[in-house]
Amino acid sequence: MRAYLEFAKRSFQNNLVYRLDYIAGVLNAIVMIFVNISIWKAVNEDGDSIESIQLQILVTYIVLSFLMQLIYTMDEYIVENKVRSGTISMDLLKPINFRLYLFSMHLGTLAFRIIMQFIPAFIVSAYIFRILPVFSLQMFFYFLLSAIMGYLILYNLNYIVWMSTFWFYWSFSLVTIKDALIMVLSGALVPLWFMPTWLTDIIAFTPFGYIFSTPILIYLGMMPESDIFDNLTRQFVWIVILFLVGKGLWLMAKNKLVIQGG
Amino acid sequence: MALIEVRDLVKTYKVNVRNKGILGSLKSLLVPEYRYIQAVDSINFTIDRGETVGFIGPNGAGKSTTVKMLCGILTPTSGSVQIGGLSVAKERKKIAAKLGIVFGQRSQLWWDLPVIDTFELLKSIYRVPEQRYRQNLSRFSEMLGLEEFIRQPVRQLSLGQRMRAEIAASMLHDPEIIFFDEPTIGLDVIAKEKIREFLREVNREKGTTMLFTTHDMQDIEKTCERIIIIDHGQKIYDDSVEQMKRQYGRTRTLAVEFDTYYEQVYLPGAEFAGEKDNKKWFTFSKDEADVSSLIQWLSQRYKIVDVTVKEPEIEEVIREIYRGGVQTVESVS
Repeated sequence: MRAYLEFAKRSFQNNLVYRLDYIAGVLNAIVMIFVNISIWKAVNEDGDSIESIQLQILVTYIVLSFLMQLIYTMDEYIVENKVRSGTISMDLLKPINFRLYLFSMHLGTLAFRIIMQFIPAFIVSAYIFRILPVFSLQMFFYFLLSAIMGYLILYNLNYIVWMSTFWFYWSFSLVTIKDALIMVLSGALVPLWFMPTWLTDIIAFTPFGYIFSTPILIYLGMMPESDIFDNLTRQFVWIVILFLVGKGLWLMAKNKLVIQGG
Repeated sequence: MALIEVRDLVKTYKVNVRNKGILGSLKSLLVPEYRYIQAVDSINFTIDRGETVGFIGPNGAGKSTTVKMLCGILTPTSGSVQIGGLSVAKERKKIAAKLGIVFGQRSQLWWDLPVIDTFELLKSIYRVPEQRYRQNLSRFSEMLGLEEFIRQPVRQLSLGQRMRAEIAASMLHDPEIIFFDEPTIGLDVIAKEKIREFLREVNREKGTTMLFTTHDMQDIEKTCERIIIIDHGQKIYDDSVEQMKRQYGRTRTLAVEFDTYYEQVYLPGAEFAGEKDNKKWFTFSKDEADVSSLIQWLSQRYKIVDVTVKEPEIEEVIREIYRGGVQTVESVS
């Protein structure tokens, strides 16, 4: 376990090296939030169907969604780069679990993003956009739990895409498709309550809605307490399913692996 | 029991055949054609604890493929590799703990971090006890002269420094077996010699088994006792370096410097091999002629200034083996 903690620490340190990237990330998130809120305000002034929903809830939703996206960003090409350059052999030649190694690197980055990006960006946007506080203390804990599981769903989903590198050597298009699906179906861009029922019915059978929408709804107190346990369970089930698929792919990939270069 | 056992090892690569031109590549996209390449074709050998073995073979002979399968990062198509009785394909993590790897062209050091940070990380990866780690570190620092650059980031090191750090990194956990893939590539003569000397000493001191793949025959000659030659995916030679020289290195070269230039010098039992100014070279087989009678024959007829006899370089011996298509020699082990 010591080794994995060390990996996480190294990954945290590595992020510190790229200071400009860090500031740009925070600014980018705030600008995106600003743009999106402006769009929703414009739509609202036209007196469209969203009149019934309080603008403040929407603003809070947007802020939370973008800040979560900011910290949930992962290095999509980490495996691809290792496979294509052949440096994956160096990782496989160590007595470590490759999947845990990968995960601890991401946890290090996540910790960095929460401390250095999420917290300052949250304070700034809470002040500028006057977001709603969490619905209740109880909901705050449910939100935390749900947000952690949302991260794990996204991680395991990404992991499956990363594993495709072993077959295609080039995962750009798959990553793009996956990103588009998440953007639309997870409620990251547009809250799911604006979607037509037939679409939300479909989304309910996919893992996407459980990444961003579920934790944010809990934060806003928009999910009935009776539904919360059910949703948390579904999140957990998705984690297990995606994890097992990823593990299966990894076992197949190992046999498939061709180390590039002499 | 042997430390490393390789049985009927086979690796077949499936290679996508691409056709020429735009139409051709379109055709390849729609109807992929594959060709199978037998990179390693049924190789057998065993290696005992403490042996130093050189794997050599021309480019594309299958030696890297073999080594990758030996250390468990490539799954064989068929056959098995066992290290200390464990199957390499199944027990990657357990095997990895016993191995040390040095790739001349690939680094295991963290590029942005000081060398010492990588060492610390390796310490926790391999769970090296603190005391053992201190001992090894100070020993290697002394032998390889790491002190001067151990706190510098790896990207600032010269190639020679990096290789020394690389080698120390691969040995911190006292591996039972170390693989060296071109360990001295791109290094100057002094650095090469320093590294070879270090490896010999570690082998003597700790009884570490060492396997080399290299194109530098000096590496083999100076550090290996045994040599395995692979060509076209098959083992074509496997014996001690000494034995190889005895068996194949029968040709000697006689260099003679005469007092003046002679048009033609006839030497029975030897073949004329070249000339420059007053010097002439002759090759002869050790079995068919002996040096003293050759020199005697020459000195009776010509005035000789200088004579030297050269034993064959290991390169020449190996060239002879590559060319000769030697019959597979089964190792007796």
